[in-house]
Amino acid sequence: MSGEDCDPMDRGENDGQKPDKMFTLKKWNAVAMWSWDVECDTCAICRVQVMDACLRCQGESKKDSYGKQDCVVVWGECNHSFHFCCMSLWVKQNNRCPLCQQEWSIQRMGK
Amino acid sequence: MITLNRKLKKEPIAPEPTNTMNGLTSNESMVRRISVRDKLLIKEVQEMNENLPATCSVHFEDPNMLSEFLLTVTPDEGFWQGGKFKFSVFVTDDYNMAPPRVKCLTRLWHPNINVDGDVCLSLLRQTSIDEHGWAPTRRLKDVVWGLNALFTDLLNFEDPLNIEAAEMYNKNKTEFQAKVQEYIAKGKR
Repeated sequence: MSGEDCDPMDRGENDGQKPDKMFTLKKWNAVAMWSWDVECDTCAICRVQVMDACLRCQGESKKDSYGKQDCVVVWGECNHSFHFCCMSLWVKQNNRCPLCQQEWSIQRMGK
Repeated sequence: MITLNRKLKKEPIAPEPTNTMNGLTSNESMVRRISVRDKLLIKEVQEMNENLPATCSVHFEDPNMLSEFLLTVTPDEGFWQGGKFKFSVFVTDDYNMAPPRVKCLTRLWHPNINVDGDVCLSLLRQTSIDEHGWAPTRRLKDVVWGLNALFTDLLNFEDPLNIEAAEMYNKNKTEFQAKVQEYIAKGKR
């Protein structure tokens, strides 16, 4: 970083000449964006954000030991994500992803 | 829709854990929990009404019961043009894991609806190995579109429920058309 700064000594020597650098960066603001690492952030079954508790659990207001709602997200091999509660109800009837019809197998679970 | 908005507001918010001594506080047990079906219906009925095809109209006998309604289809083209066909739609408790139950209340001559009112529409099929059957990703508006399309795009003579109707069509289309209109005329009388 210091290499980009103008040395006062240099400036002294170049007095009266045009400085090498026309601009110096005095201040800048970085803006970062983030999103959940999922293809779709809404559970297509209950239409609630996957990071929130599903419609069923919201009604029952189940809480885990941290006082948070204990409703985890499940990702399939097809990379579609749902609430684990919603998906486990559906696979009992039809073991396919309701979004892409692929055979459902769990890739990972968690929050 | 005023009633829908009011229903949304009435949706009980999880009670604050004021009394942690006994697991079920009186407050919690008193609030009758709204079922998942009813929560879904509040959104889906509104969405259905906003996206109703021009040939369809819905009627709720009891505006507080979103799980039962009548759908009227008045086709503006095809064999059934000029007819008015009523369907009863009943959304069961296990919605949206299970499709709504649909009956056709108007007697009609149609390859995919028999004279008893049973409807053969793939998206209303509970178990299906292909992508055409029921899935919890489907909504009420899809059901309405499906039933409406039975008179046009989804009309299927290849896999009929009313075999007699399909056979008649394959043999003699004029006779089929006449029979369709005969049923429509009977219904108007």
